[in-house]
Amino acid sequence: MQNVKHIFGIFADYLGQYFKTRLAYRADFLGDFVSNLISELINLVFIIVVFTHVPLMKEWTRDEIIFIYGFFLVPYALFSMFFGFWDFNERYIIRGEMDRILTRPIHNLAQVCLESIAPDRIFGVITGLIIMGYAAFQLDLTFYWYDLFIFIGLVISGALIYGGVYTAIAAVSFFSDSRTGIAPMIYNIQQYGRYPVDVYNKAIRFVLTYVLPFAFVGIYPAAYFLRKEVWYTYAALTPVVAVIFFGIGLLVWNWGVTKYRGAGS
Amino acid sequence: MIQVKNLQKEFRIHQARAGLGGAFRDLFSREYKTVKAVNDLSFTVEEGEMFALIGENGAGKSTTIKMLTGILTPSEGEIVINGYVPFKQREEYVRSIGVVFGQRSQLWWDLSPMESFRLLKSVYKVDGPEGDKWLDRLIEELEINPFVSQPVRKLSLGQRMRCEVAASLIHKPRLLFLDEPTVGLDVLVKQKIREFLRNLNETENMTILLTTHDVSDIEALCKRVLVMDKGKLIFDGLLSDLKEKWGNGTEVSFQMKKRTPADELRKTLGEMPCEISQVNEYTISVKVPQSQEMLPFVLSTVMSTFEVSDVKIMETSTEDIVRNIYQVDTGVRGHA
Amino acid sequence: MHKLYMELIRMRFLTMLAYRVNYYSGIIIYAINIGAYYFLWGAIYGGQQQLGGLSVEQMTSYVAIAWMSRAFYFNNIDTEIAQDVREGKVAIEMIRPYNYLSVKTAQAFGEGIFRFLFFAGPGIFLISLIIPFHFPATATGWGLYLISLMFAFLINTQINLLTGLFTFFLFRNDGMMRAKRVVVDLMSGLVLPISFFPGWAQTVMGFLPFQAVNYYPSLIFTGAITPGRSWELIGFQAIWMVVILVPILILWRMARNRLVVQGG
Repeated sequence: MQNVKHIFGIFADYLGQYFKTRLAYRADFLGDFVSNLISELINLVFIIVVFTHVPLMKEWTRDEIIFIYGFFLVPYALFSMFFGFWDFNERYIIRGEMDRILTRPIHNLAQVCLESIAPDRIFGVITGLIIMGYAAFQLDLTFYWYDLFIFIGLVISGALIYGGVYTAIAAVSFFSDSRTGIAPMIYNIQQYGRYPVDVYNKAIRFVLTYVLPFAFVGIYPAAYFLRKEVWYTYAALTPVVAVIFFGIGLLVWNWGVTKYRGAGS
Repeated sequence: MIQVKNLQKEFRIHQARAGLGGAFRDLFSREYKTVKAVNDLSFTVEEGEMFALIGENGAGKSTTIKMLTGILTPSEGEIVINGYVPFKQREEYVRSIGVVFGQRSQLWWDLSPMESFRLLKSVYKVDGPEGDKWLDRLIEELEINPFVSQPVRKLSLGQRMRCEVAASLIHKPRLLFLDEPTVGLDVLVKQKIREFLRNLNETENMTILLTTHDVSDIEALCKRVLVMDKGKLIFDGLLSDLKEKWGNGTEVSFQMKKRTPADELRKTLGEMPCEISQVNEYTISVKVPQSQEMLPFVLSTVMSTFEVSDVKIMETSTEDIVRNIYQVDTGVRGHA
Repeated sequence: MHKLYMELIRMRFLTMLAYRVNYYSGIIIYAINIGAYYFLWGAIYGGQQQLGGLSVEQMTSYVAIAWMSRAFYFNNIDTEIAQDVREGKVAIEMIRPYNYLSVKTAQAFGEGIFRFLFFAGPGIFLISLIIPFHFPATATGWGLYLISLMFAFLINTQINLLTGLFTFFLFRNDGMMRAKRVVVDLMSGLVLPISFFPGWAQTVMGFLPFQAVNYYPSLIFTGAITPGRSWELIGFQAIWMVVILVPILILWRMARNRLVVQGG
């Protein structure tokens, strides 16, 4: 517990370090911001274009789908803010930075997270909130005061689900002795949670609920705010799934560390 | 302080098959070879010792040091350092050690060393005036003050290395590991770092372990040497004993006042097992295999029998010794 | 010279084979992606017969083949160039007796062949077992598709060379390269056939090279257009290839001069 407190304590220090480094490369800041915004909006384009041809997608209206997408962006942005080690394999395993991490007195996953923290992803949260806000306005949704807390809880849970799955995938690098393409893997699977699961067949629905539970990042929790009571049980289970999957991720990671072979000789 | 017992580390190495067909088969099933990088290693170290781990490339030094620092998990055997088992109690253990990797930086590339020090201070929870005083001392003794506020990427290798050393010591560890700390540095910087380490060892009684290729590092710093070969410890003892065991002995060159043939010297020394050779008409060299017992006898006998104008004693350098060890070893390998 | 490039292609091919985790994860990704889009499109079509000029069956083939084509043309040579520039390796490449950009293209080609044979081949086979899938009925259809795919590879590689070359001037352009990747995925018709876009957007995209990267070959594969129209599209691809060559050569010249002046 004390360790956790320490991790949060030095969080600010790392954040400061990040901004100092960032100031050295101002141009890239803009590039990252624009590229993130474009990738966020492109999925919106997909939804909008598709709905110019059809009125409904399996009983879901355009604005509902947009709302789900907007919701999804918030935990996803939080996740990519704190789990920004896309180049884990390259940087920590192949170039051997993990050696250094392991000689420091803070949990190694926490250090890797802190070193690759990306505070600029906060703009992703904002984009998500704006998209959600727009859709909520169009749908005329009503909220209660406690919804804010439920929202925060669900968003954090969603980010932890991604974090857990990603941590487990990144830990594959500890076992393999060559380059592993974990970055494209995450880039590609991140998108499945954001459409209603009932458009998929049973097998994919099962995968998205129990194996790679990305449905708990987008559709299930968003369904609560859309007042779709069919999905309420799933929405309520979101924090449980988060704890389980983040726990699994951590276990796999810790196990992987004992198999770490070091770089070079 | 350090107790290592029957330490082993095995790696499974993928044996790639040759050619396109081989690569294709590798995709589905792979052949592995198990390699013992470290094989049955045992030794103990007392607090305040300064010792070196040497060996050829691939002898297992790096693997050993990585196990000692808790980076790698041993396949078998025990390590207890400062009362901790490194790979199990990693986070507590690493507070008591400092590590310098010659090839790898622990400083933030784009920021100044000072920023890195500040961050490391909070990582290691070093605070209060004592921590500041210690850092000031490090900065002063390593003479890094002039560039401690410049971005690391603009520093020369020598400057950076001194900052690395300071960074690894920020939490005043009791044990310092240095893995190839002087690779690529010029003589002056090497000397500065060595002097600093020696001073640290004397004033703080800090235990220092280094792996190196550079024999002059060992000569300047260490009394005790561990030699590894193919994962095994083949020597553990004092540097002087190492010289005794693997050295070519000592060569003494006598410059005579008169022309002296080598035979005359042979007669004088009698049955002494030593090698005598004529360098030129006035100079004769005598090679003594074991220096400690025979050298005084040779010197006194020759000096009292002949008129000697000059004597030069040439001890085998550690570098020669290391070369000897490797050569003997390859000889063995050749027979096997 | 010819031999050198053959060797480079072979080397990259072998390197790809060596990364086993990459290979398996790649197959999983492509399978999931195609599967997910297949069901998504099923839901979108609902009961409708035709959308954007494509039937459900054609759409299914389109999604599958679009991803398979991507397996062939996709590469990361822009990030590789960026890395070479940042680490100063590019200065060494310059003094070697070959053309750096051709080398990169050859490597990309080796990667493409690997993915085409080992990802797309088995992938298409597996998918054709699970979902209704229409192969081109005639040899001409296959031939047209393969020619068009070859151009798609060249154009996409050129786009990557172009973004990669910007690193010489910007030092860090990871953001730009990532943005390029998503823009190419959208505007090339990977996620949405171009015919789905509103008219004004189609007009705008007509002036951009991206649909030559995926939409053209995929459309040819589905058989939704006549052979005559297919040749027309291939002609467009050829024109685009020549057009993009111009800025590449200009930037390359500037980059080299810059390197000489600044010394890497």
